[in-house]
Amino acid sequence: MIPRASLALLIGLLVADPAAAQGPTGFDHARHARVFPSCQACHPGAVNPDSAFWPEPTRCTACHDGSTLQRVAWQPPTAPHPSNLKFVHDLVPLMTRATPRGPEPLGCRDCHVPAGGGRMDVHRALSDRCIECHAPGSTHLAAPDTVCATCHLPLSRAASLRPTDIANFPVPPSHRAPGFVTSGLHGRQAAGTSQPVAPSCATCHARDFCLICHVDAPERAAIQALDPDPRARAIVVHLPRAPSHDDPSFLSRHGAMVRANPQQCVTCHTRESCLTCHAPSQGVGVALHAAGPGRAPGAQPHRLPPPSHRENFVRRHASVAAATPATCAGCHVRGDCLQCHRPNAAANPAGYHPAGFLQSHPAAAYSREARCTDCHNTGGFCQACHATAGLTATKTLGSGYHDVSSTFIAGHGQAARQSLESCTACHAERDCLTCHSALGGRRFSPHGPGFDAERLRRKNAQMCTVCHGAAIPND
Amino acid sequence: MRSPAGMLFLAAVLLPFRAAAQGYRVRIDTRWQTVAYRGVSLDSIPVTDTVGTPGGGPVSPDGFAVQCLSGATFCTLFRPGAVQRGRPLTSTIEASLWGFGVRGLSVRAIGRAGVDLGTAGVWPGTGPALQLLEGYAEYASSRLTARAGRQVIPSRLGWTGFDGGALTYRDVRHGIELQGYGGWGLARGVALPVTSPALNPLDDFQPIQRQVIAGASGGWTSSAADARFEYQREVDPHSHKFVSERVAFEGAVRPVGHVRISGGADYDLAAGWWGSADAAVNYVTPKIRGTLWARRYRPHFDLWTIWGAFSPVPYQSLQGSLAYAIVARIEVRGRYERYRYDEAATETPLFSAKRDGWRAELGATATLTPAWTIDAGYQREFGPGASVSGTAATIIYQPSARLRATLLGSSFDRPLEFRFNDVGVRTLGVDGQFASSEQVRFGVTAYYNTEAHHRPDAGAFDWNQWRASARVVFAFGHGADLRGLPPSIQMLPGGRSARTLP
Repeated sequence: MIPRASLALLIGLLVADPAAAQGPTGFDHARHARVFPSCQACHPGAVNPDSAFWPEPTRCTACHDGSTLQRVAWQPPTAPHPSNLKFVHDLVPLMTRATPRGPEPLGCRDCHVPAGGGRMDVHRALSDRCIECHAPGSTHLAAPDTVCATCHLPLSRAASLRPTDIANFPVPPSHRAPGFVTSGLHGRQAAGTSQPVAPSCATCHARDFCLICHVDAPERAAIQALDPDPRARAIVVHLPRAPSHDDPSFLSRHGAMVRANPQQCVTCHTRESCLTCHAPSQGVGVALHAAGPGRAPGAQPHRLPPPSHRENFVRRHASVAAATPATCAGCHVRGDCLQCHRPNAAANPAGYHPAGFLQSHPAAAYSREARCTDCHNTGGFCQACHATAGLTATKTLGSGYHDVSSTFIAGHGQAARQSLESCTACHAERDCLTCHSALGGRRFSPHGPGFDAERLRRKNAQMCTVCHGAAIPND
Repeated sequence: MRSPAGMLFLAAVLLPFRAAAQGYRVRIDTRWQTVAYRGVSLDSIPVTDTVGTPGGGPVSPDGFAVQCLSGATFCTLFRPGAVQRGRPLTSTIEASLWGFGVRGLSVRAIGRAGVDLGTAGVWPGTGPALQLLEGYAEYASSRLTARAGRQVIPSRLGWTGFDGGALTYRDVRHGIELQGYGGWGLARGVALPVTSPALNPLDDFQPIQRQVIAGASGGWTSSAADARFEYQREVDPHSHKFVSERVAFEGAVRPVGHVRISGGADYDLAAGWWGSADAAVNYVTPKIRGTLWARRYRPHFDLWTIWGAFSPVPYQSLQGSLAYAIVARIEVRGRYERYRYDEAATETPLFSAKRDGWRAELGATATLTPAWTIDAGYQREFGPGASVSGTAATIIYQPSARLRATLLGSSFDRPLEFRFNDVGVRTLGVDGQFASSEQVRFGVTAYYNTEAHHRPDAGAFDWNQWRASARVVFAFGHGADLRGLPPSIQMLPGGRSARTLP
């Protein structure tokens, strides 16, 4: 048995309908004030559950017959008005309101007519009238968290509400308080009642709403206490950037901040969020939750170059990369380097190598300023191009290509040993075997400093047979 | 699709899409360039047709210097070669896919399609038309990473490409990483096997089977120091002989802030000699970048060639570089290197090559405004074989991260040591990069190149050309990290920073 006063309180609050527009109803009650002496005449269902709530349209034709008054096309609603109220008119007889004369039964106007309004200034249920009894001194949206559930269903159970209705929920003043979103105030309010989650939150929100932002949703008891409901995403949230992120030094300090207190990051950032930039660093972000079902996707950081990477950095990055590779590896993987450091036949001619490098490359190649063979195969790259350019040797060695001296071929040994890779860019083995073979020709030995015949024969005697045949000498 | 690499490429890139991976990143980088060059063309004339010159050697009737070997009836000469024009077009597709139901399992593939829209074969690198640069499946956990497929492992021994498997164990807590790998090797510097005809334009000796490769490495990393050890061997499965066998080690210490001391070396177990080595001290602060670098370089040749038996000698170099920001917006830099080859032990009384050389550079970068940057440098070089001296400058306009325009120019001379063919090269051009969105970037480069060859005979010629390139990059993806956010929010350029309370 529900105490009468409580029931009255309950029903009074139930008329607070945040989902419904609180303006006048579609029917112009005021113009019909003298026609209808009582509410029950048209809405018998408000007091008698067995009767229809809405009048028959034929009753309008008593006056609106086309001759006395023009016809009207009014039709009673075919579906309940979308609402998250628990209210049913059956409770009206049990409701009272306090007056100086003591509790008095509620009439229709106590809920549907503004304070001081005329009898037929009829509106849908006015939440302010509910608050007069259920949260005196407050306003509807500022009512204590504990009283919302008195009148309202949790969003997940308000099945008649459409996403557009939910999207139009008014924003309570508390939500505009500084730091409500970013300083955790809303979380403290959600967990601040004796319930697993504050009924005030559940009235307008479901778990899916929290999953727009909260990566740590599974770890938040208040969020888990909410029922899932995809309609909750109809409320579009606009998260501000965390104030700490606006600090100019945040980029350089955020690593230490994470290590010191990862809990401050786990709400908005997944582990993948870190890996957007710190792709190569397996250890980064391990304190954060990995993305997955039941979690928000998390903040989507955009990978931006640090300030140091401006000012022609690409041209001078080599020394920095050599000196602090671990710093580079914080954001870069090998694939980043390979965008330039992997040869491409159609590469930008002013990219990895400077403009005009085609003409100047002999200088870099002779002294191997860089290790050319890391990126360029001698046969497929150097020889192929030199062959087309007519630079490779023909069968007639001594044709005079190296024309700086007529005796170059007789004295080329030093140059060859100093830059043998350059020689192989144009010469095949057979060019050298003309003279440097034990099997024929001039039988000049090519072996020089450091040559370890025994070791090489042990490792690969096939190489020896090219010049020595089967008669490989012992040393 | 005929080549096995092409089949593997398609399988690696396309099939995983059909397998409905939950996440993927795809990057398509398409580039085109037009380039031309002009070499030489060997010709010959009868000895009787040569003409003597006062104070010089014989020349052809039209003025080309000729080479006449003693007793030969013909003399040879080199005329300017035909203009070779290449217009390579390449498209590199890089795909990473994950979310196959096993956490840590992913597939990565990089393939390239290339064609020369100019004269086929002029510009290297477009053949074969389809190449799989990398393509592997990877399982990664916090301690283990296993890969199977075509992959490249970079190390001090070079970039090792192979088709096979690799297993890496790491102990993040102690900074230890151990790796082993093995498979069928690829040729150096290219994603093709050593048996590929594309790598043998001179019809030289070539192995008939791919080498089998195996290697292991171990590394230790801490906040103050790193150390790494590598071992690698390659064996010819046909002869069961070594193609190479090398070890390498390297280490680095960071004794105090901003300072890093590093060094390493490799040893050729097959040849029995030390290969390349280096040691460096780096000092880097926001205002100063300094490096002192000692280096030794000796080329490495596989044992399926005979080149290693010719005893290539190393050179040693000492280099110092310093960059200093004299004010916030102006940085000056300088570099000097001196190098010298080891004694070659050759008896060459008739000709002696230079044995040592040096190179130096001075430059400056000025950031006039956040959008405008000017960079200029002068370099001078002297040494064996060839050298370059000249200046280069760029003016960069970058009003935002999405747009960059560069005006570039250079002028340099490049003398050769062993041929009369000094070249003066002047370039002037523009480069533009534009990112229309996070997903699409464009680039275009064009410069005019004048090339003046200096010779004391008719072989000198001028050769000018426009060289241009264009590039477009598409990058897109889908994954769990992108799921759930409304499209309008995903498209916000500043991410969440653009959102505020109503």
